[in-house]
Amino acid sequence: MTPRPGLIGAILLLIGWQALAMELSLGLILAGPLEILRWLFEHSGLVARALGRTASNAAAGFLLGNFAAIFCAAIAVLWPRLQDLVLGLALAGFCLPLIAIGPILRVLMGPGEGPQIVLAALAVHFTTLAALLIGLRAVPAVWLDLVHSYGRGRFSELWHLRARAALPYLFAGLQIAAPAAFLGAMVGEFTGAERGMGVLTIRYMRALDVPALWSVALVAATAAMLAHAAIGALARKLLREDPPLLLAPPRVPAARSSLLGPVILAIAVIGLWAAAIRLAGLSPFFAKGPAEVAAALFHDPALRDGLMRALGQSAGLAAAGYLAGLAGGAGLAVLVTLRPGAAGFVLPLALALRAVPIVTTGPLIVLLLGRNALGTVSLVAIMIFFPSFIACLHGLRQAPGQILDLFRVHAAGPLAQMLHVRLAAMLPAFFAAARMGVPAAILAVTVVEWLVTGRGLGSLMALAASTSDYRMLWSAVALVTVIAMLCHAGVAAIERRVLGVYAPEQMRP
Amino acid sequence: MPGSEAAAAIICRGLSKTHPGGVEAVAEMDLAFSEGLTTALIGPSGCGKSTLLRLIAGLDMPSGGTVSILGRTPAEQRREGAISVAFQDPSLLPWLTVQQNVALARRLARQEPDPDHVARLIALVGLDGFAATRPAALSGGMRQRAAIARSLVTRPRILLLDEPFGAVDELTRRQLARDLPPLWQGRGTTAVLVTHSIDEAVTLSDRILVLSPRPARIVADLAVPLPRPRPADLDQNPQFRAIASLALAALSCG
Ligand SMILES: Nc1ncnc2c1ncn2[C@@H]1O[C@H](COP(=O)(O)OP(=O)(O)O)[C@@H](O)[C@H]1O
Ligand SMILES: [Mg+2]
Repeated sequence: MTPRPGLIGAILLLIGWQALAMELSLGLILAGPLEILRWLFEHSGLVARALGRTASNAAAGFLLGNFAAIFCAAIAVLWPRLQDLVLGLALAGFCLPLIAIGPILRVLMGPGEGPQIVLAALAVHFTTLAALLIGLRAVPAVWLDLVHSYGRGRFSELWHLRARAALPYLFAGLQIAAPAAFLGAMVGEFTGAERGMGVLTIRYMRALDVPALWSVALVAATAAMLAHAAIGALARKLLREDPPLLLAPPRVPAARSSLLGPVILAIAVIGLWAAAIRLAGLSPFFAKGPAEVAAALFHDPALRDGLMRALGQSAGLAAAGYLAGLAGGAGLAVLVTLRPGAAGFVLPLALALRAVPIVTTGPLIVLLLGRNALGTVSLVAIMIFFPSFIACLHGLRQAPGQILDLFRVHAAGPLAQMLHVRLAAMLPAFFAAARMGVPAAILAVTVVEWLVTGRGLGSLMALAASTSDYRMLWSAVALVTVIAMLCHAGVAAIERRVLGVYAPEQMRP
Repeated sequence: MPGSEAAAAIICRGLSKTHPGGVEAVAEMDLAFSEGLTTALIGPSGCGKSTLLRLIAGLDMPSGGTVSILGRTPAEQRREGAISVAFQDPSLLPWLTVQQNVALARRLARQEPDPDHVARLIALVGLDGFAATRPAALSGGMRQRAAIARSLVTRPRILLLDEPFGAVDELTRRQLARDLPPLWQGRGTTAVLVTHSIDEAVTLSDRILVLSPRPARIVADLAVPLPRPRPADLDQNPQFRAIASLALAALSCG
């Protein structure tokens, strides 16, 4: 542990930040550390109350989503035939556009804390589930033989082997989940809560109160980073080992791959959707089932055109940011690996920033970069950049040492090692980040559109919610979810192709 | 046929196994293991010894033929906790101490905890001061010894040992070969020991089956009528050398 360079770096950063903020033209959009400190001092009570509320909602959603993930993982591992369905449903939940689900939940659950908690739970459920499924399978076959040789079955497997083997993966998932829960709770608060960091963000965004915005964002980011660090510390204490550096959950091998899987999943989603509306006895004015959404999409040209226009505006920005973020993350990881000295400085910074729920600081970033396409694309790119960068850096380091030694024996330099060995080793991590980036990009673009730019799907969904145009709102939710899942499946298909060639060992079931 | 004076505990009839890749590891094997005796299987590596052991334990399903253990199926016997396997790979759980790893077998076999028995076995395999140590801090040979203790702790009626001393150093191996057999021999335990080492086979067993290269066939069936307990300098015994050279001859013509 050598805190020195980090400390010096931090001080330099603070000074530079303050100097920038004091530059007059930037002062309109950037608050310096001193102003932030003053603002926080003057509003400490307000911020403390808001933070307490958001943190408690995030914690409730964190518990709810993660318990659900543990339950689903146990089901998937006890009955492997159900794995693909369970994972697919969780993915559908993860692909729901949070900012449209927020208003729907608000109508359903009223002005209390319900929507914030549910959104926080949705934001964590899938990532923890995917991490757990990897962990539960991280059991050598011979351990299973041991259990079987005493005549015991899959419950004993789960109890004696899998549960314990999955613990490090669970903690790694929980670490990613902590800031995600914070993000979910804040997005929930955007949709009309009474108190919380999200409420403050909206309020100061509307008032363009720059020091307040920066202060709130900083406090939210710090809280999320502390939660991330606390879970890491807990894991080290309990497991006496570091949790695996789980960047984006790795690929969960399909229990069986066929075309039947997606069909069953689609039927299950539509069935659950219709059944939930029927069973909850929701008002038909508000709750739209699959049939009505299909009718609206196919037979209402006005609605369809509006939706498609918004989709066109959002899709380009999201795709551009997504690709830029991925390319930037992978590119920087390659550069840093070629210049190993830089990694020591960049990696801790990136790990810390990964824990920042970027979207909650999104308004600021757009404020800095402008309310235009560039600002939106940049925010999406930043959202994708950090996870990709860390994942790729990790992947590059997974290159097998013996093969690298072989290259060194033949005096092949870092560039040759990169081209022939490391890039292939990076691919699994890169694709894991690429898959997880799909919903993240959609979340980022819709939040910015809603809070800042007033264009595209985000704005359309917000408008539909505020004018009670529920047909539009439900249709948008369905469309965005389907598109997100299709994109996710598309990335997964490319991943299978590429890894089949470059990393066949990753493709084993 | 040696061993035929005692009743057969394990009977394999027409046993075959073709692995998913199409590798035929065991073909049409007829075998009987006498109750209470230790039988050694020796054969070139890759000939199907582990596969045969797994078929007997019922961990793999045969492609053809049957295994019957004391009149019942392997699965039924496993549920009774009657079988123990010491796997080729020690397969200790990394988060448990040696003591906990050994005790785990009793839990899995639904037997009462017996800390004294666990401690005795740990001492006997020479891991006296290491009961509270985790596997990561043990050498390969020490791990294998812990796995042997684990396989014995349930007092199994059927004991299947797959190259249990593979990673153990020569000196310890000789000592274990002397100290361990009394734990199961003379108690009605039927043991099948897979090994590479002819000397080990002669030292430990009552009967030696020499297997051919894959798919395994029996090329020699040798009785080992040496008295027990067997002394440390057994390998100087002319009868020992005679059996060992027979086994070597069988192994070399395959
Ligand atoms: N699970 C398996 N799948 C495919 N082939 C296997 C499997 N297990 C063993 N084999 C093959 O079966 C043959 C016998 O293996 P094994 O029984 O482990 O040999 P031994 O224990 O005698 O060294 C080998 O050729 C091995 O490659
Ligand atoms: Mg073997």
